[in-house]
Amino acid sequence: MATTNDKEFRAKLETLSVSQQRQVAALFVQRVFAFSNDVRIKAALDMAMRADISDAELAVVSQAANTARVESYAQCGRDSDWNTQAGLFVAKAAVSCVSPVTDGKNLAWDAAMQARVARTCEAASGNISDYKEAEAQYAILDDFLNK
Amino acid sequence: MSASLEKGVRVLKEVIDAPIASYFSSCVHCGLCAEACLFYTETGNPKYTPIHKLEPMRRLYEQEYTVLGRLKKLVGLSKAVTDAELAEWQELVYNSCTLCGRCSVVCPVGNDIVYMVRKFREGMSASGNAPEGIKGAANRTITIGSPMGVKLPAVKAQMRHVEEDYGLPIPMDVEGAEYLVMLSSMEIMNFPEYLGAIAKIMHQAGKTWTLCSTAFEATNAGMQIGNSDLARVIVSRIVEAAEKLKVKTVISPECGHAYTALRWEGANLMGRSFGFKVRHIIEVLGEFQEQGLLKTEGFETDRLTFHDPCQLARRGGVIKQQRNLMNMVSKNFVEMPDAGFMNWCCGGGGGASAIEEGEELRLEAFKKKKSQLDTVKPDRLVTACANCRIVLEEGLEHYQMNLPVVGLTEMIADHIPNPIVDKPEGN
Repeated sequence: MATTNDKEFRAKLETLSVSQQRQVAALFVQRVFAFSNDVRIKAALDMAMRADISDAELAVVSQAANTARVESYAQCGRDSDWNTQAGLFVAKAAVSCVSPVTDGKNLAWDAAMQARVARTCEAASGNISDYKEAEAQYAILDDFLNK
Repeated sequence: MSASLEKGVRVLKEVIDAPIASYFSSCVHCGLCAEACLFYTETGNPKYTPIHKLEPMRRLYEQEYTVLGRLKKLVGLSKAVTDAELAEWQELVYNSCTLCGRCSVVCPVGNDIVYMVRKFREGMSASGNAPEGIKGAANRTITIGSPMGVKLPAVKAQMRHVEEDYGLPIPMDVEGAEYLVMLSSMEIMNFPEYLGAIAKIMHQAGKTWTLCSTAFEATNAGMQIGNSDLARVIVSRIVEAAEKLKVKTVISPECGHAYTALRWEGANLMGRSFGFKVRHIIEVLGEFQEQGLLKTEGFETDRLTFHDPCQLARRGGVIKQQRNLMNMVSKNFVEMPDAGFMNWCCGGGGGASAIEEGEELRLEAFKKKKSQLDTVKPDRLVTACANCRIVLEEGLEHYQMNLPVVGLTEMIADHIPNPIVDKPEGN
């Protein structure tokens, strides 16, 4: 049955293994990756897609993605650029994809929410007036589960 | 003398009031303020001694308001303040001072050095010697209403996202709400989850609250650059909004100078008292906790420590509340040395983080925070200021310390069960 709302979306994400969460999370982030284009983020997403990723590999890409995230913050008092700002949330989403520690959190849900904020930033910049990121994520998850 | 210098000197003469005169005349040159300043302790450079940062203003005070100083000036034994000198002092008055107030509290004769720096900044700003980064923020505050140029449509876009994410409405322009929640640009841009946390907490506490479309920004660039007129304009926007909406309390966000400007200086800037209370979000959470309105579930079990934002703890006296809140959701909360009232600054307050050319010095000064953290070796660092949070993250990244930084309000909200509510309209 097709996912139509966040409650169903979250419930389906909860059924996934951590490895599957990383994979589907990476698919969510790929949709908004254009806001970042940071090679460290791309490397994190490529690694998250792999089912056989080792802990050591995860630690390396996670560290690099985290550095990209910290570098993406808008500094206090600096002029805002919402398109650039979207890159911060892409980086946050990518960090979720490759986070070595889950602490019971659903990585895919976290990544999905951050990816939506990235799209929100695009809306804030005035480039789009309507966005359907949630619906696109539902479709990605359904495709992933139906494979 | 250039026109800008003339203006700066005139402003400096005007701001030298009775407290400043008494502070200069009572300084015993003990040097204790140096040991209280992280820019001095971490570099060892005596130019960063807090009282030295005021030297041009001290000379001007002496030349204009003391008999001996006037005589010295008359016979050419006293050097006039110059454009070049003020330009040189920019680094000392802005880049290497976060207005953290540590120097003021250690002064054995009670000199409020940070008050003097603030007044000096008035002259620096008037003479055109404020750093470009802070000037830009001040200009955007005048023209757009936000130091980072955040406009209402952007706030609405974030509101819509948060409503979808949390399933709770984000009210705007609700007359008669109990609380008017203010935001800082930093939260809107970097930490929209703060707004979701507020929604969740208010929902559980059963309180009514609202944002205001004409005054959502609390960051006070006027305080940072040293321009009381601008500081007054920013405060007056909030006061007008609070009075229009007839709220009982205005909540200052997790932003240090927004809090100081509104809570401690707002009424003086406006020249009248307010018909509503001003509280920092941590004070409000503390009140909710005391009243039994915060019902959290579960505990963080990793080792947590708390970085006290200077304006909240030292300048604002809010110290117990954040600790009670930490203990409410944590089983392993440890204190850094000097935590609380004497905590060391992150290095980026008072507008310092907006100064690009000050970054190297900021990272040098961060060694103080690093040493505090190295002592307790936490797993995560919690704080209650969006600016501190980013400055801390940058410092930790620079020194390759793998230590996540989280906001206290969001952490409390994470321990509140998700409410069962209907989706907000329009989603």
